Amino acid sequence: MIELKNLDKYIESRFQRVFILKGIDLTINEGEFITLMGPSGAGKSTLLNILGLLDEEYDGNYLFGDRSIKSMKDRERSALHKSEFGYIFQAYHLIDELTVYENIETPLLYRKVSSNERKSIIADLLDRFNMVAKKDLFPAQLSGGQQQLVGIARAVAGKPRVLLADEPTGNLHSGQAKEIMEIFQELHREGTTIIQATHARENADYGTRLIDMLDGKIEKDEAIIHV
Amino acid sequence: MWKNYLKISFRNLRKRKLYTGINLIGLTIAIVSFLAICLYIQHEWSYDKMYADYDRIYKFNQEFVSQGESQLVASTPSSLIPTLIEEIPEVETGTLVFDISIFSSVLIDAGEGNQEEKSFAYADENYFKVFDFELLSGSPAHVLAEPNQIVLTRSTAERYFGDAGSASGKILKVEGTDFTVSGVMEDFPSNSHMEFDFLASFKSHRHGKNPEWSPSNYYTYVKLKAGTDVSAFESKVEQIKEKYLGKELAEYGYKTSFHLQPVSNIHLGDQSLSSIKPGTDIRYLYIFGIVALLLIAIGIINYVNLATAEATERNKEVGLRKAMGAGRGQLFGQFVSESMLLTFGATVLSVLCLYLILPKFSQIGGVPLSTNSLMNPIGIGFMVGLIAIVGLLAGMYPSLILSGMEPIKALANKTKMGGGAWVRKSLVVFQFFVSIGLLIATFIVKNQLDHMQNVSLGYDREQVVALTYHYSMRNVAETMKSEMLRSGAASSISLAGDMPIHIQAGYKIFPGGDNQREFMITGYSTDEDIVKTLNLAILAGTDLNENDISRAEANESKAIIPIILNESAIKEMGWEPEEAIGKIVNFGFSDARIKAVVGDFYFNSMHEDIGPLGIFRDQGNANVMLVKIPSGNPSATLASLEEVWKKFVPERPFNYRFIDQEYAQLYRSEERVGVIFTLFSGIAVLIACMGLFGLVSYVALRRTREISIRKVLGATQKDVVSVLASDFFKLLLVASVLAIGFGLWFSDTWLQSFANKVEFSPMPYILAVMLVLLLAGLTIGYRSWKVFRLNPAKTLKSE
Repeated sequence: MIELKNLDKYIESRFQRVFILKGIDLTINEGEFITLMGPSGAGKSTLLNILGLLDEEYDGNYLFGDRSIKSMKDRERSALHKSEFGYIFQAYHLIDELTVYENIETPLLYRKVSSNERKSIIADLLDRFNMVAKKDLFPAQLSGGQQQLVGIARAVAGKPRVLLADEPTGNLHSGQAKEIMEIFQELHREGTTIIQATHARENADYGTRLIDMLDGKIEKDEAIIHV
Repeated sequence: MWKNYLKISFRNLRKRKLYTGINLIGLTIAIVSFLAICLYIQHEWSYDKMYADYDRIYKFNQEFVSQGESQLVASTPSSLIPTLIEEIPEVETGTLVFDISIFSSVLIDAGEGNQEEKSFAYADENYFKVFDFELLSGSPAHVLAEPNQIVLTRSTAERYFGDAGSASGKILKVEGTDFTVSGVMEDFPSNSHMEFDFLASFKSHRHGKNPEWSPSNYYTYVKLKAGTDVSAFESKVEQIKEKYLGKELAEYGYKTSFHLQPVSNIHLGDQSLSSIKPGTDIRYLYIFGIVALLLIAIGIINYVNLATAEATERNKEVGLRKAMGAGRGQLFGQFVSESMLLTFGATVLSVLCLYLILPKFSQIGGVPLSTNSLMNPIGIGFMVGLIAIVGLLAGMYPSLILSGMEPIKALANKTKMGGGAWVRKSLVVFQFFVSIGLLIATFIVKNQLDHMQNVSLGYDREQVVALTYHYSMRNVAETMKSEMLRSGAASSISLAGDMPIHIQAGYKIFPGGDNQREFMITGYSTDEDIVKTLNLAILAGTDLNENDISRAEANESKAIIPIILNESAIKEMGWEPEEAIGKIVNFGFSDARIKAVVGDFYFNSMHEDIGPLGIFRDQGNANVMLVKIPSGNPSATLASLEEVWKKFVPERPFNYRFIDQEYAQLYRSEERVGVIFTLFSGIAVLIACMGLFGLVSYVALRRTREISIRKVLGATQKDVVSVLASDFFKLLLVASVLAIGFGLWFSDTWLQSFANKVEFSPMPYILAVMLVLLLAGLTIGYRSWKVFRLNPAKTLKSE
């Protein structure tokens, strides 16, 4: 589904190039649940941003399906971005001025989903994440775990095929983290491709594949066998 | 989608109170001023457009050409319109108006004693055919058709008869003659160039019985048939003139012609033409329009500056929305809807404010304005358009910046405010350029107004009272004069044709001799006491005395009249004062001997140079009695003057005007400009300073950490203020330099319309710049002080 070929990302400093990613070759099949691990600065977030079409400054080739991202027109790329990807952030990044309901609604608005359809999609999500009673609260009124639930609901509202999560449990305590991971697992079972970056080894166990990164390179790439 | 935009916009605005407050107040003030000025301009623009087929109604002006000098006057002979109606088929109808209030007031008696009325005119029977003013009673074709008919306006009728309904058919005595009230009309609308309390049938006037081709004392209006070619019509009028006046004109070496002026052009047209109501110089409308736009611009700039400065705060939101799939257009829409919402709020507030301030503004502007012209489909459409344009202009640039941010950088808060900085700086410069420029202009206008009020006019205008004189008083005038002098209430009294502030009778003077040419001279008909009363300076010769022959007597006996000329007149003839004495000149077709030369004095508005003036005895033409009163208690003096007056002419009301007050009235329109400039330059400075406050607040907020560190390192309050202030003061200095340039241009241009200008003074410039720098300094100082007072331990810890 996704194929990266010899992908470099670097910053041009005054005397030399500082590589953030170097020579990444990666193939991701539909339905995988991939965990990116590695110390800070290994390039996990950068890789996620490139995968999610948020960052277009890189050398090398990125194929989505069988099409090269670089050869696409802006319009196609933004259509692809809207239809295929959902994002989850470590700091939740909810919009403070919007209620739970409205935060979930926002990506649907950008996708021009009709009002009735929006209502039913959001109602389903609120139900699924047990947030019906909280739909009119603002992010500041929720706990971290609840905020991240809203973040996930928001990310999956547009029914993306690929879910990208950057340290989704980084700000949560272990109980909340477990809950989030179980949701990921469930989404994965329903067929969503998930790519998460994390520091926590135990999160990888929910996935199907573990990629270790160090200094912008892939160190190890192995399948996780569930016993 | 838009519902979502609005909701978010509303919450955003509510959350950031300082930002919203500054923008809302600034835009509201700007829009209130803008709307008020628009209403004023609309009122001035709507003059004389309420008559049916107003575009076919014209007024005649008459041009006199003599020896290469041409003069356009607003009045025409009484024969013109009847002849045209008779002989030119293109004329649908036409009318003549004889505004006698320019000559004298009229006494009206409805059985309760004489009232002096100043707004009285005669009009012929076609008047209401041309001007379809609403008649509350009486029929348009008949109300002015017979002699001794009079039409009252509604408020005049109410004043005399209690209510407008019962006035018809009643009798009014006009200067002792019975007139029947034939109709009552609605009051003249404020946007008509005509305004009278009484319209009497022209047939009642002695000149109305036999139309003549001379004199030219009448306003003539014509309504042409639809589709008439105006220039073809004018040449037909030319033929008529040749037919009736050609011989006479050739004999006297005159040329004259009649020109059409659209009726809707009278108010804003040539201001040198006399008119029933003072007109408005169209240039002032342009200036006010520009000022209105500048005020709106300053309000918009506040928004642009604050919104871009604030953009850093909103990076995260932009990044997120982009990550969730927002297109640039969608983000743009969201941010513009925020500015639209704000503008909408400001406009609603403005209309509410307008209800409160409009009465006051009407007073300042001298016209009755009402919000009615806004509360109709066109007005609402205008305001919707205003909201759209202002909202878009304000929101466009910040929205472009915000929506153009790159998502990852925006999320990571890495966007720097570098790019927009120079735009913000130039906008601040522009704001302060406008504010300082307007202030300078205000001070220049004020300087010139003060100058005109304080400059020596060449005569004493203090302690001179003008009493209304009527020719019916001629038999008792002399005894009354001596009685007043004896009472001690007057030190000198003179009968005169005009007040010295505005003398207008035109004559021709021919000095004789080979190399001399004829020229126009203003004539002042008075008596022998004028030099004493006005304290004119005699440069040569001797004053007039009661034995000198008057012009009226001289006309019969062909005798030589003694005349006083002013310095300008003899300069025009190339003589020195001493040399001129005793010379015989031809003055208005009579021979005159120069008896004295007086120093020049201003007998017209200072827009004009002092021209040649001839003073001669002719009490027959007197309209005012100029009384020099002793200094001291003026009300006691006036009381004793009134006592004498009542003894001699009890039937005439005692009306007085102080010359110096009347003089001040001459510059009413300039005074108005001065007030409006003061008002709006104040508003501009206020809005700009509010914007500056907001901007400094953001800068201070961004630099809180830096300032705290400096403080820890031992910076004093002064150091902190100078850190924050230096950038802004550089901008203010640039703005000041530009504004001074504008001021120099303005003073050059505006003062050009005055023959007597105030001397150049650097004070307006220094004052304006200092004032704005002071206000800006206070704004910045206050803000920096607030930051300085923060505890560095706390601010640094939060980093």
